[in-house]
Amino acid sequence: MYLDVNPELCTGCSLCEAFCSFRREKAIWPTKSCISVLKYEREALYIPFTCQQCEKAICAEVCPVQAIKRNAHTRAWEIDANKCMGCKMCVASCPLGGVAFDPHRGRAFKCDLCGGDPECVKVCAPGALKLVKGPEVVLAKRRRVTQNMLHLLQNWGVETHV
Amino acid sequence: MFKYRGYTGNILRVDLNRQKIDKIPLAESLAEKYLGGNGFGIRFLWDEVPPEADPLSPVNLLIFATGPLVGTLIPNSGRIEAIAKSPLTNMYGDSNAGGFFGPELKFAGYDMLVFRGRAPQPVYLYIEDELVELRDATHLWGKDTIETEEILRDELKDPDVKVACIGPAGENMVRYACIQVTPQRSLGRSGMGAVMGSKNLKAVAVRGTKGIAIAEPDKFHDLALEFHRRLRANDVYPAVSKYGTPGIVSIMNMIGRFPTKNFQYGAYEWADDINAESLHKKHFVKHLACYACPVACDKLFKIKEGEYRGLACRSVEYETLNGFGANILNRDLASILKANDMADRLGLDVISASRAISFAMELWEKGILSHGEVEGMDLSWGNMETVFKLLNMIAYRQGFGDLLAEGVKRAAEKIGRGAEYYAMHVKGQEIAAQDGRAQQSMGLAHVTSNRGADHLKGFPTIDETGYPAEAERRYGKEYLPDMADPRSIKHKGFLVKDGEDFAAVVDSAGNCKSGGTFVLAEIYWEDMARAIRYATGLEIEVQGLKKIGERIYNLQRCYNVLCGISRKDDTLPRRFLEEPNPSAAAKGLVCRLEPMLEEYYYLRNWDPRTGYPTIKKLEELDLKDAVDRIGREKLIYSREDMKPDRSE
Repeated sequence: MYLDVNPELCTGCSLCEAFCSFRREKAIWPTKSCISVLKYEREALYIPFTCQQCEKAICAEVCPVQAIKRNAHTRAWEIDANKCMGCKMCVASCPLGGVAFDPHRGRAFKCDLCGGDPECVKVCAPGALKLVKGPEVVLAKRRRVTQNMLHLLQNWGVETHV
Repeated sequence: MFKYRGYTGNILRVDLNRQKIDKIPLAESLAEKYLGGNGFGIRFLWDEVPPEADPLSPVNLLIFATGPLVGTLIPNSGRIEAIAKSPLTNMYGDSNAGGFFGPELKFAGYDMLVFRGRAPQPVYLYIEDELVELRDATHLWGKDTIETEEILRDELKDPDVKVACIGPAGENMVRYACIQVTPQRSLGRSGMGAVMGSKNLKAVAVRGTKGIAIAEPDKFHDLALEFHRRLRANDVYPAVSKYGTPGIVSIMNMIGRFPTKNFQYGAYEWADDINAESLHKKHFVKHLACYACPVACDKLFKIKEGEYRGLACRSVEYETLNGFGANILNRDLASILKANDMADRLGLDVISASRAISFAMELWEKGILSHGEVEGMDLSWGNMETVFKLLNMIAYRQGFGDLLAEGVKRAAEKIGRGAEYYAMHVKGQEIAAQDGRAQQSMGLAHVTSNRGADHLKGFPTIDETGYPAEAERRYGKEYLPDMADPRSIKHKGFLVKDGEDFAAVVDSAGNCKSGGTFVLAEIYWEDMARAIRYATGLEIEVQGLKKIGERIYNLQRCYNVLCGISRKDDTLPRRFLEEPNPSAAAKGLVCRLEPMLEEYYYLRNWDPRTGYPTIKKLEELDLKDAVDRIGREKLIYSREDMKPDRSE
């Protein structure tokens, strides 16, 4: 499973950050959220960004104490806080910025999909965040693209029956 | 650590005269008695700004206040409140905006900013957690609000910095200049931007990395989730979420409550051209939300063709569509968006600016303003070229614009010749797009609002288009059917009083009135009490919360009393009282203000002759200092000492 993010739908409300941090910290603390809404205000473009749960997870590979393990049920990469020694190798090596570092505890942290029931998905009113298995997202996206093409054809006067 | 969670426990006091910044602790008693937001604001104003002070002098304070729910999980808890003595009304003034500035201030570790004095040259305040600095803003002076925000983001190399700033209108102290906060939300009313300009303060840029602690995390989390679920299940959620406030254009037009031609009519022949459906069809791009808001009532609009092609703007509200539409007889949507964008950039309150223009247009129509006085401009209804020109002239206080920059009340006094009749204001503040003849409670709300004409203090929504179910749920069956009938005056004093007390609490806690409390009326007293209790650890029940709301509202009124306000000022323009509304469902109606006002004073326990709170009421609200300051000889003991005239 992983989080499918659709920036087109994101309204920028940051509820995902608030609830994510609250689950971990019992406080609203966006800088300790596993998901961040990156904002480009001039364009009103908002992109929620989080761990992609890579198949080949560099963070887990570089971890010198093997603190990052895949959860067999959710397929999310989880950090064992007791094992983590705070070396930040995972933070440094993740090419996407998917792992963050908590300076107060001296531990790395990242999205673990809340054990399969992510808070961010629950509160995302516009539906920009979805928990998905995989293939169905790709198909949905392909369908969306063809839908756009159909509109284009109709604009050109081509008769379609969809 | 501060005794109560939800607060940061810190206030920043900035003395602009001496360029000195102090971090002081928030008093526990302030949280207990005034909650936050405008509650904090009025207490500081009361204690420190003499009522005779010129609002544009260094003596005035400019306060930015958050509340205990700001920046939390509660739906739309992203509000920031600005409070100062208003340069528009010369009495208590405040305004409230969403966006992200309020939460960021809390993440930086501050509940409140208090500015006093005047900087010798333009400055901005930069806050990054513990780092707090006044910095030179000479290069920002003259820039519009959007440019200012962008320059600050670039200059500070921080795309996440949140900004509150003024545009040219604030710099030139236009009496209804607003403060814009990230992203393009407005602290619109009461002229807070002029106060900021008078202090040579161009902007506040804030960045915070801390967390907000909660007293009872588990309960709070579940309650917040419940609120989110309830809002999303609310009957009007889909419409409000899809269209935002523009969604009510058609409804208001239908009930004759859509001010047209400077309130000459209550319905606009071409309303369909400027309603939400047209707006969406032509210009919609994307839904945008304030902090923690599932409603996302703000939208990104783009003009795709024609003269203003490429123009993108947000915060296009019902008020905008009315102000630059029906109000001045303009049915061209693109030009409304253009005017909205101009007002945002210049930093003008859309409501007051558009009313100032419609006021001038009516004077021109009636022949009161001569050709020479308006510098040869063509002020005929709907002439958008003139509107654009006037917006600039107002913001830069040029020529005739300088007069309109004073607001319609002052402008009418200067013009004379009967102009006052067409100045649609209460206590100096221009009336929003809400006609008290079509919705009687709205007329009363304009009159009793502590910041002058205003629809958001009492915010009667129950009887707008008739919500009998909600009226019954909130107040009980015995109040129906009159409570939900906009044309009835029965129980409206009660409705407005309850709304004002509740709104004072909502504004002070830091919630939005559009998404959850008044519009989409899901969250009410009991819910607010629970949310505040779980967040803060304050032992607070509904009764205690109601007392806080009343205390805030009464202290604002007391401040206004010291500013010279009394019953004589609690009135509407004669047009509302004497000229029957000619439109739609409101045809033939005037606002029957007096009996509603009598009921209102009675319920407030205010003296119906003077409009002053009674000693008994003030003592009950622990406001003995207000009794002493106003003077016992001016106040009566209780309403029983004064038999109200209840003839109607």
